[in-house]
Amino acid sequence: MNRVRNFKLILWMIIGLGAAVATARFMFGLGAVTNLSDRVPWGLWIGFDVMSGVALASGGFVLTATVYIFKLDRFHSIVRPAILTALLGYIAVAVGLLFDLGLPWNIWHMMIYWNLHSPLFEVGWCVMLYLTVLLLEFFPVPAEKYGFLSKIRGFLTKLRLPLVIAGIALSTLHQSSLGSLFLIMPYNVHPLWYSPIMPVTFFISAIGLGLMMVTFESLFTGWLYRREQEVDLLERLGAAARWVFLLYLAIRLGDLAVRDQLGHLSGGEWQVKMFWFELVIVAIIPTVLLFIRAVRRSAAGLMTVAITGVTGIVLNRINVGGLVHINRGETLYLPAWTEIVITLAVIAGAALVFLFMAERFKVWEIQPVDPDADPIKMPEFHPVDSSWLGKPEIVARTKYSLGFIIAAAVGFALLSGEPLESRGVDPVPAQQARGGDTLWIDGNLDGYGVEFLHVRHWYRSGSGESCVECHHMNLPLDRNSGCYHCHSDMYLPADAFRHDWHSSPTGGKLACHECHQKGVVRAVESAKKCDECHNDLIPSEASIEVEQYMAVSYADAMHHLCIDCHTKEAVPRENPDLPRCTTCHKGQRDIIDATVLDSDRRNLTGKRTLLPPIHQE
Amino acid sequence: MKAILTDTTKCIGCRECVIACKTRYKLDNSIPRRWSAEDGLTARNWTSIIERPDSKYVRKQCRHCIEPACVSACPVNALQKNKDGAVVYDSSKCMGCRYCMMACPYGIPRYDWDRQVPYVRKCILCAEYISDGKQPACTEVCPTEATIFGERDELIAEAHRRIKANPGKYINRVWGEHEVGGSQVLYISDIDLSFLTYGQPLGDKPLPDRTASAMHAVPYAFVGMGSLMAGIGWVIGRRMKNEEGGKDKPEGEENE
Repeated sequence: MNRVRNFKLILWMIIGLGAAVATARFMFGLGAVTNLSDRVPWGLWIGFDVMSGVALASGGFVLTATVYIFKLDRFHSIVRPAILTALLGYIAVAVGLLFDLGLPWNIWHMMIYWNLHSPLFEVGWCVMLYLTVLLLEFFPVPAEKYGFLSKIRGFLTKLRLPLVIAGIALSTLHQSSLGSLFLIMPYNVHPLWYSPIMPVTFFISAIGLGLMMVTFESLFTGWLYRREQEVDLLERLGAAARWVFLLYLAIRLGDLAVRDQLGHLSGGEWQVKMFWFELVIVAIIPTVLLFIRAVRRSAAGLMTVAITGVTGIVLNRINVGGLVHINRGETLYLPAWTEIVITLAVIAGAALVFLFMAERFKVWEIQPVDPDADPIKMPEFHPVDSSWLGKPEIVARTKYSLGFIIAAAVGFALLSGEPLESRGVDPVPAQQARGGDTLWIDGNLDGYGVEFLHVRHWYRSGSGESCVECHHMNLPLDRNSGCYHCHSDMYLPADAFRHDWHSSPTGGKLACHECHQKGVVRAVESAKKCDECHNDLIPSEASIEVEQYMAVSYADAMHHLCIDCHTKEAVPRENPDLPRCTTCHKGQRDIIDATVLDSDRRNLTGKRTLLPPIHQE
Repeated sequence: MKAILTDTTKCIGCRECVIACKTRYKLDNSIPRRWSAEDGLTARNWTSIIERPDSKYVRKQCRHCIEPACVSACPVNALQKNKDGAVVYDSSKCMGCRYCMMACPYGIPRYDWDRQVPYVRKCILCAEYISDGKQPACTEVCPTEATIFGERDELIAEAHRRIKANPGKYINRVWGEHEVGGSQVLYISDIDLSFLTYGQPLGDKPLPDRTASAMHAVPYAFVGMGSLMAGIGWVIGRRMKNEEGGKDKPEGEENE
């Protein structure tokens, strides 16, 4: 039974990792652990956990329909695992949703605030009701074990047919309504996917996916517990599934033809390739393989088909759920590792509960032995003569706990590597200075820079061999020294003083020594004070005394600095126009037409000058 | 119905509207974050000025559609259109599904991605002020009257009047008059404003109509599927009973 234990250990470790991420998610908000953004508000958790989760759990209603409605009794042996998979699938959807919702504690609001126009409202209600139906459908299985529950069990068994019919009807509604969710986004969803019949295609693909998921689950647990795999039954399911897939293929392509979108199919965009990839693995490969009898009759063949089909439909849900939305992904959304971990952890939790139920209750005809039920416990020393009896086997539970804790610790370690509270502040990429005789220094590429005159620097530092004062200062890995080695104040926080403008030849045209004294390190303290040049900076009757000119940033400096005082001063001076932009920005914009202005005027008003890019040697 | 008309040819890009909005609603400073879109709207900037080539400025804000997709999408009625037509948000109802953000054809609603208790944020047309007969903060402070507030039909008439008076200057179109059923924030401009949407031109059909047909089918699908299944089950059950009596050939293959 090592196989089962190792599998469970892996599941517990994934959950441990998930626990660490979950902590971060609820402590720091969605932005800290997801790559979601204002442009891509739905990601993996909706596309996979919810959209695909609901579809993956559709095996429940497909198989109950097969057995209780179509009365194909031979499938009876796989109904119970299918219902259990569905039940756990829906619980996993709900749990996954709690991570994705911004305010998960308000999830019950859907019960009291009704919006009958919203497909999401309908999906929510159907999922809640169907979850109840599934609980009632599955309840007789664990109840078998306990005699005192026999009355309830008998009652529920009598109710089975109405429950099954309600379950099928509810599934029809919400499986298709997941498609209706996207009907309201005709301008975002790519035309290859957007269609008014999305509810229908979602429903049909859910049936196909249900059959594939039952196949996968049956084969996989068969392998895990070394159970006999029900290949003969699964073969029949496969035979039914090929028609479903064929129907799906026909509807998808027919729909494109009707909507006159076939032209899109020949394009070279990545969405077109994605469409073909999706369609090939959703429908074409499974259909072709399922028409081959040998494939249908081999466990490996069926497994291949199941995995391709499941992957394909999951991909379809993720695509519609946000990946192929036009213009949402100028910055391509890729899920963060933390998002993937949560997704896996939710699945792992559901898998563990499945195994727990399968080992304790009669989910399969032949119940697998619980490998943990009888851990071998041997004393390390003989109780009488204290002789060494060998190492006892570590109880599986201890292993799982340890795995969980270690994984959680690793998770926390990985998370603490990034400052969570400040995540999302993009570092501004610095750009190397460009030019030869004159360097154009515009580190953050905002078109606003400094012209650096080589000759002047060389001359002012003493000419001759003074190159070495900047180049090769014997700093590690130094090629040439940054400006801040001399201009030590240039990175001081937010200075209202526009140094670049003062020194630029198109602005203040000031040489350095006109403000900074010669022979002294150039810094704020040693420079001239503003009012030494700007005599009119502070009017003689000024009621305020300006001591420093600090503002939030260079760009905001002048505006914020001046406008704040102007606003304050407007009232006592009885001049309401003092804080208006138009006091300085004379006239309305439609009077100043840039095309009519002569070139001198444009130079004055045009604030930005950009040098043409020069190739680096 | 109240409305805002923004004439982009008059905008000098001074951002007084942005500051007035932030002041009125006490919004924090907006640090550029990974999740911010390039249009400048964030959870703490409900309106923004987009700079276009040749010093053209366009103010972006919620359009307050006449038939809003977000209101129709919200499963818990957290977004509502009030009597003045402002699309307002009730944070106490919201559960944070962000379907409104997906549904909006203009991509307006923004989210508090960095908060433990995050809300959907967008312009609410200063709802409580306009119901008192006051103006929204943005139109109140605009120094050049580039963005003005008034009755929707009067503003549409004014927009057409301006276009007619100066046909060479404006593009002959009032943005927001018809798109997706019309909106209460209107634009006239000398540049094409299609960059305010997702790229595809918007039709005149209101977006909630697109889901309406599917939603109307829901009760019929439920009853239909239920009775279909009950019927099939009954018929097959009866046939199987008859066969047991009549010993016919085994049945079942055709039902798969």
